[in-house]
Amino acid sequence: MPPIKENVIIYANPDHCLSCHSCELACAVAHSGGHDMIEAIAANLPLHARNKVVSVDGTAMPMQCRQCEDAPCTFACPTGACRQADGQVQIVEQHCIGCKLCVMVCPFGAITVRSETVVEQGACTNRGVAKKCDLCVDWRASTGKTAPACVEACPTKAIRMVDLDAYRIALREARAREIAKSHRHMRVQF
Amino acid sequence: MTHHDCAHCSSDACATEMLNLAEANSIETAWHRYEKQQPQCGFGSAGLCCRICLKGPCRIDPFGEGPKYGVCGADRDTIVARHLVRMIAAGTAAHSEHGRHIALAMQHISQGELHDYSIRDEAKLYAIAKTLGVATEGRGLLAIVGDLAAITLGDFQNQDYDKPCAWLAASLTPRRVKRLGDLGLLPHNIDASVAQTMSRTHVGCDADPTNLILGGLRVAMADLDGSMLATELSDALFGTPQPVVSAANLGVMKRGAVNIAVNGHNPMLSDIICDVAADLRDEAIAAGAAEGINIIGICCTGHEVMMRHGVPLATNYLSQELPILTGALEAMVVDVQCIMPSLPRIAECFHTQIITTDKHNKISGATHVPFDEHKAVETAKTIIRMAIAAFGRRDPNRVAIPAFKQKSIVGFSAEAVVAALAKVNADDPLKPLVDNVVNGNIQGIVLFVGCNTTKVQQDSAYVDLAKSLAKRNVLVLATGCAAGAFAKAGLMTSEATTQYAGEGLKGVLSAIGTAAGLGGPLPLVMHMGSCVDNSRAVALATALANKLGVDLSDLPLVASAPECMSEKALAIGSWAVTIGLPTHVGSVPPVIGSQIVTKLVTETAKDLVGGYFIVDTDPKSAGDKLYAAIQERRAGLGL
Ligand code: SF4
Ligand code: SF4
Ligand code: SF4
Ligand code: SF4
Repeated sequence: MPPIKENVIIYANPDHCLSCHSCELACAVAHSGGHDMIEAIAANLPLHARNKVVSVDGTAMPMQCRQCEDAPCTFACPTGACRQADGQVQIVEQHCIGCKLCVMVCPFGAITVRSETVVEQGACTNRGVAKKCDLCVDWRASTGKTAPACVEACPTKAIRMVDLDAYRIALREARAREIAKSHRHMRVQF
Repeated sequence: MTHHDCAHCSSDACATEMLNLAEANSIETAWHRYEKQQPQCGFGSAGLCCRICLKGPCRIDPFGEGPKYGVCGADRDTIVARHLVRMIAAGTAAHSEHGRHIALAMQHISQGELHDYSIRDEAKLYAIAKTLGVATEGRGLLAIVGDLAAITLGDFQNQDYDKPCAWLAASLTPRRVKRLGDLGLLPHNIDASVAQTMSRTHVGCDADPTNLILGGLRVAMADLDGSMLATELSDALFGTPQPVVSAANLGVMKRGAVNIAVNGHNPMLSDIICDVAADLRDEAIAAGAAEGINIIGICCTGHEVMMRHGVPLATNYLSQELPILTGALEAMVVDVQCIMPSLPRIAECFHTQIITTDKHNKISGATHVPFDEHKAVETAKTIIRMAIAAFGRRDPNRVAIPAFKQKSIVGFSAEAVVAALAKVNADDPLKPLVDNVVNGNIQGIVLFVGCNTTKVQQDSAYVDLAKSLAKRNVLVLATGCAAGAFAKAGLMTSEATTQYAGEGLKGVLSAIGTAAGLGGPLPLVMHMGSCVDNSRAVALATALANKLGVDLSDLPLVASAPECMSEKALAIGSWAVTIGLPTHVGSVPPVIGSQIVTKLVTETAKDLVGGYFIVDTDPKSAGDKLYAAIQERRAGLGL
């Protein structure tokens, strides 16, 4: 069986995050259907960030879906809307009924059920569906960008989209360099 | 509202009690809002976000990976400096607008208008006339008032750039006037200084951080001028504060009275409210309030009426929403500055009327009663009657007044301090103070100024620092919300002196207090007034420096604003530095994004003007640094 490649993730460096919320704004705009924030606000488009900068112990930590490989949300979903596909955990909104089981099982608080349309009072449906970080697949396809909107927006480059293969290679090289240097000085016979 | 544990929000027990009540009733206070603001933007905190033109906002990456320049080309140093001096100018504008209000009132009085006001302190008026060189011999009072108003308004009008503001030139030590004059740091006109600060910080103007910061110090000196004239003229108008026993904290509210809080900064209306409250007592009693009318103070308006009428202080800035939560506040009358726009939202949950009075300071949701000095008594009566009417809507089941209040001896104007010293040595009142500084019983003097901020446990930094310095025999003065913190914490009492002062300081305060007939030591912390009244401390320090034949920057005198938050506090801190004082701030101003600006205000300033900023959020180490600065000054004087 050929190995399945790990899902890419958004990696955040809390030491560089200044909690400016630019990534949240960018996420909301990228999923709003508008071109920019001013336009989206003027047109009253839905602006929901799928990420959240969280402040803990004096540090800011940008949080979003970690694209788990054994994702609890995919198991919990009764309709199959939430599933592994194309190298990420996807929620097919047409299939989502807004039951919030995924919200409850996600260990990272990464999912929110929201409606994107104004629903009349007393209607049969709230039209709410689950939203989470989708790595901006649609936005990237339509804009031709390679990085997700939040990564693009971050003024301090605190967040990045990481391919674990590349990450591992970088780690190995860095450590290899150090170990090689040390071993050069070891002259132990055993 | 999300659950919010406020056990450590404030070191004030009444505030904590009210915050628990707020939590139980899902009422949102400043502390809840602060929580919701987390995480606060790092660019703004560092001063690296520029919003000066529409090409912006531009942000500089402090980590060096992102942009280094704004669109116009401004670098981090330019951006930080521009925004800092704009904040100082805003503070200056606030204090000075208050001053203009008082000066215009004096002018109108001299023209035979404003019949609800009079010169209550003629001795002070003559003293001011002497300072400003106005002839008094054989002249009528109103003519003198007119001249003083004209000279004062001249500080807002003079167009000769090289002629310094009259009040500063007449009030500081000759050496300071010369030194600052040579550096171009003596403003010629308060309004022009503010306007020039706005102008030089417009896109494409002054970009040199050093030049900008010097401009900031110049406009800060205009703040001192505006504060000084506001305080001194208010004394002539309403009386110079003398020691009076009052009380502080929410326990000053009365279940059986119509409680009216005065909040803000300007005494023009609040002083009249205190006067006419007695006239309407019977109306309050008829409405069911057996104890009549109870005026209480909040923030600096509170200090103005506390110093002059002994009106008790309910609370200071950060907890200004909490008196409403007692369910026993009929009205809060506000004038200008540091008034939380949230007040009407909280008052909505109760019967409390929030009444705005200044045409430039309205809050949606509040009732606006326009204040006109020509009808001051009438306005005051209208407001009090609104409060009496509100009393009828009070829900007695919701009344929860904390049982706690502290005795506070307040009202230490420079004149009052000198008068107390004169009881020890009538011929040379300053001598006892000088002698005790020389012999080390008093190591130095610290002036606590400034506000409260949600970034520090309310009042705790003041109390910790004051105790630690008093123990080391440092004489403690305070104004504004710093004074509010000390009053609530019981540090404005003889008992506090006995408990916390070092032996030398205790001896001196006891000797003066006994001689002055207080029946005990002077309080540990001397209440010098509202935040505009910091000039009182400058007056005292100037008298001391002149007596010793030295400059202000030679005295073992330091300032500290451990819980500062307002632009006014930045202006005060900046002039304190400019007149030569080592000045501590405990909440970090937005300058850390620029090493150059940080160095300018914390180091270079020392060579230039003698004073400098000490930025430290830890009260313990800040206390050590302030004490070390005092010792450095003592060594400089050969002590
Ligand atoms: S909310 Fe939608 S995605 Fe989540 S479990 Fe329910 S159906 Fe699945
Ligand atoms: S939503 Fe939560 S559980 Fe699902 S993949 Fe993302 S992190 Fe994992
Ligand atoms: S843009 Fe970067 S610094 Fe700003 S909030 Fe997002 S992750 Fe943090
Ligand atoms: S003044 Fe310069 S740095 Fe400031 S917002 Fe405009 S372009 Fe940006």
